[in-house]
Parts: sequence; structure tokens; C-alpha cells
Amino acid sequence: IVLGTTRNNFEGKKVIHLEYEAYMSMAEKEIRKICRDVRQKWPSVKHIAVHHRLGVVPITEASVIIAVSSPHRAESLEAVMYCINTLKASVPIWKKEIYKDDYSWKENKECFWANSGK
Amino acid sequence: QVTVLYFARSAELAGLRSETLSVPQQITALQLWEEIIKVHPRLAVIQDQVVFAVRQEYVLLGDQLLVLQPGDEVAIIPPISGG
Repeated sequence: IVLGTTRNNFEGKKVIHLEYEAYMSMAEKEIRKICRDVRQKWPSVKHIAVHHRLGVVPITEASVIIAVSSPHRAESLEAVMYCINTLKASVPIWKKEIYKDDYSWKENKECFWANSGK
Repeated sequence: QVTVLYFARSAELAGLRSETLSVPQQITALQLWEEIIKVHPRLAVIQDQVVFAVRQEYVLLGDQLLVLQPGDEVAIIPPISGG
């Protein structure tokens, strides 16, 4: 299981809460693609659950959970890593960090069209 | 006529979340971006950081020729941050 929870600060600024939005129809499509990929790569996987909260998520709470079951833990762990890494690279969900007087749209380093190098 | 969807920073810059736009049926991705900029010039600042999703498939802003049907969804996709 991977559970993504919120850090309470960024560059010294206190994070009040997070807000998530999504391109719903495409996010569901991309998540289904990820599940199909998992079943192809790790055929022993039994169940897969991916849940991402949208809207306001308070700090310390989880925004995403990924759970995979299989007869042997090695496949589950690899499949879970694949799910979270691919989700971060391809599922159209956006996170906004809300500070006291400011906010910032975050960008995953896995996102190939982000400018994190610049 | 396609439906353009705006998300995250692009929705803030454009000031709206969706609208219909009349464009030629065959158009490159970059030309489509230029049509959108005509309507929303403030979007120009994120040009280097967005991709499109056309009928829910990612498309880079480049020379790829799109063949659009009426009612197709074109989404502006700023850098994602799920997970």
C-alpha cells in the first residue's frame, strides 16, 4: 500500500491545506490504463485499488492511496511503485498548495512537460 | 467547433474553465494554441509548460496535424501534480 500524505511546509512557508482538481474523464481513463498495465506486467496481481481525493485536503491527511494484492509481496511492491510513479507522470490531476497569503501550483518532477530544469 | 477545457493555472489565466471555439478541421497543435492565445493572450506565459489533451490523448504543442470533429474536447494541460 502507498499512502500519500501532505507535508506541512514548503520553503519555509506554512502549508494551510491542499486543493486538488482533475480532468475527471481523462484521469479515470489514465488510471484504468495503469491498472491494465499492472495486470499485464504482474499477472499474479489479484486486486488493485487507486483512490485520489479531490478538492480540499487538510495537512497530515492522505490525498492518495494505492493498494495492490498478490500471492507474493515482491509483485505487490513493484506494482504499487509502478502505479504511483506512472500516476505522477500521466494522470491529469493538479495540486495547489495554499499558504497564509499565497498559493502555488505544484509540478511533479515525473511530468515531462514541466519546467523543473529551468 | 471544439470544446476547449482549461485547468489549474491555465484556467486562472484564461478566466474560465471551458468554452467552444471554431477552428479548421485540420490544424497543427501549435496553430491551435495560437488560435487560443488570440482569445486569451495571458496564456502565452505558460506556452513552454503546457501540452494539449485532444480526445483525452496527450499532444505536444508542435507540428502534429490534428483532425478535429465537432464536439471534440481539447484540454490545456499545465504540469501535473497528482499523487
